[in-house]
Amino acid sequence: MDKIRRALLGQIAKLTAGAALVPLSSVASAAINDQPPRREGDPEKRYAMLIDLRACIGCQACTVSCHIENEAPLGNFRTIVSQYEVEHEETGDSATFMLPRLCNHCENPPCVPVCPVQATFQRQDGIVVVDNEVCVGCAYCVQACPYDARFINEHTQTADKCTFCAHRLDVGLLPACVESCVGGARIIGDLHDPDSQISRMMKEHYSELMVLKPEMGTAPHVFYLGMDERFVSRPDAKPAIWDVRDQQGEEIGYEFSGH
Amino acid sequence: MNSAVIEVLAPRYGIAWYPWAVQYFFMIAVSYSALLLTVPGLLLGKKNYQPLAKVALLVTVSCTLVGPVALLADLHQPLRFWHFYANLTPWSWMSIGSLLLPVYLLLVVAYAWLAWRPAMQEQAQGEGWIAKLSGWISLGQWHAPRWMLVVSGLGALLFSLGIMIYTGAEVAIVKARPLWDTLWLPVMFALTGLVAAAGLVILINRLMTGNDEDVNEQSLKVVFVSMVLSALVAALWISEGITGFSPSVEQALVSLQGNPEWRAVAIYGLLVGIALTLSTIVMLRRPGWLGRSWIAGLLAVHIGWTFRWMVLMEVQTVAKNTAGYYHYAIEAGSSGLLGIIGTFGLWLAALLIIDILVPWKKGLPTSPH
Ligand code: SF4
Ligand code: SF4
Ligand code: SF4
Repeated sequence: MDKIRRALLGQIAKLTAGAALVPLSSVASAAINDQPPRREGDPEKRYAMLIDLRACIGCQACTVSCHIENEAPLGNFRTIVSQYEVEHEETGDSATFMLPRLCNHCENPPCVPVCPVQATFQRQDGIVVVDNEVCVGCAYCVQACPYDARFINEHTQTADKCTFCAHRLDVGLLPACVESCVGGARIIGDLHDPDSQISRMMKEHYSELMVLKPEMGTAPHVFYLGMDERFVSRPDAKPAIWDVRDQQGEEIGYEFSGH
Repeated sequence: MNSAVIEVLAPRYGIAWYPWAVQYFFMIAVSYSALLLTVPGLLLGKKNYQPLAKVALLVTVSCTLVGPVALLADLHQPLRFWHFYANLTPWSWMSIGSLLLPVYLLLVVAYAWLAWRPAMQEQAQGEGWIAKLSGWISLGQWHAPRWMLVVSGLGALLFSLGIMIYTGAEVAIVKARPLWDTLWLPVMFALTGLVAAAGLVILINRLMTGNDEDVNEQSLKVVFVSMVLSALVAALWISEGITGFSPSVEQALVSLQGNPEWRAVAIYGLLVGIALTLSTIVMLRRPGWLGRSWIAGLLAVHIGWTFRWMVLMEVQTVAKNTAGYYHYAIEAGSSGLLGIIGTFGLWLAALLIIDILVPWKKGLPTSPH
């Protein structure tokens, strides 16, 4: 039963990775909770990320470099690599599984239409961003994102999330997490450009690609290669360590002072 | 292949909506429900419901005034509230709410002002600063025709429906949280709102007036009927989950099964619900017991509030991606305990100020025994 269910889920996951590519921008309308029109950004582009899990060693270099680049407060992450230990119940064999998580820059992002002041919006190049000059910090978008990709930044008291490092992309640089990835597992690029590395890889591995929680209908634009379908939705796992504390019970931080 | 999976380092996120949200959802639900209780006595002019309407009107006004304060406090950038009006966003339920709320508030205040005005005008004839203030508040001695009261009452009712719908929809559209993503939730909000409002009416009736038995009886009936309907809705909701008809409820039930703390609270809620329903029956059946309705009143308020606490706070501890539950311990600061106490304190202050200024209980038996 479990097996069938998993197989089925895997099937759905793969299919929806395909469906995620059907452009949704044309369905923008103004009914309640529908996607509003996109604004800003280059309409010629559609940024997406492909994460080759076969090349991820779980070193958290992306987590750290993103944290430094984007100055997230201690304990909040725009990206993190979930690390799972999988133990076969009969043989006792164990294996590890690494899953980098970040905002999926969904084609149908539920975080966008909920925003009461249009601070969260999707650019025409697909990147979902927050204008923190406008954000009132109502946290509705934090509730609406199915991936826990957002948080309220305690320094700015506004919503914060991965922006695909739009500030870097816009000047021709790669995102911090992509730049620092030792295995070259994170590939970012323009899906509208058939010659981009991401487009070529998507074409080559089309049938193996998966996205997270496809059942949410968000059409994520972070695609995973080498994914295990048991981890597509919230995995049935036990948490081992909640947070890291020193012997005095203080949280161990790695943030620079002055932030 | 069966395997056990361990998530080595699970990040822990704080909750995004603070207890302020519970306070707002509670206050505003009590407000629109108590408004309903004023209808027979005040709007339709039914004599034997007039005492109920008087108490319910006080409850409506005080909660309508304080609720929005709690809402504002739940914003992390409260001073930017004007952004709501500078960036109208008709596709966002919260933005729609930000338009409905001030109009609703004004209509409720107008409705109460018109209802209390004759007594205020009378009070203005007397001596002292209260008389003077009453004169200012009632804006002169001219007679306000009844249609003004009816129009503002109907308007308030119409907008209260909007408030009911938007507060429910705002939460029910959030697919990311399985326990919220159900149409039964707005219905439950409204029903438990009625329970709490009727409960609060009973309490105020006991504490601030002469514990009028008609008011107790009528409110107990409201509590009873709303509790029976809530039980029915809860049963439908759960059966949807058990039959797998609604995957979101099914998933919600799974979270419930996986967390002993949650189970304990669910069982507690069930027991208190049964206790309340049974106590209303006893009190309604034995006329001598009507004077003790405040016990049921307390339970009713408790249920209305705890339901919102469970739904809005506890649900946020379910991790969306990672293993386990986030831990939420209520903080002592203004985003936690102080916020809850502060809102209730503010409400009490509003109640007392109205009580000092407005002869709202005119015509009610006064001396509490
Ligand atoms: S992952 Fe979450 S925050 Fe990112 S676009 Fe999708 S819904 Fe929005
Ligand atoms: S927290 Fe900010 S970005 Fe998110 S919904 Fe509220 S106003 Fe919009
Ligand atoms: S793209 Fe930038 S913001 Fe997003 S996870 Fe990578 S480093 Fe962080």
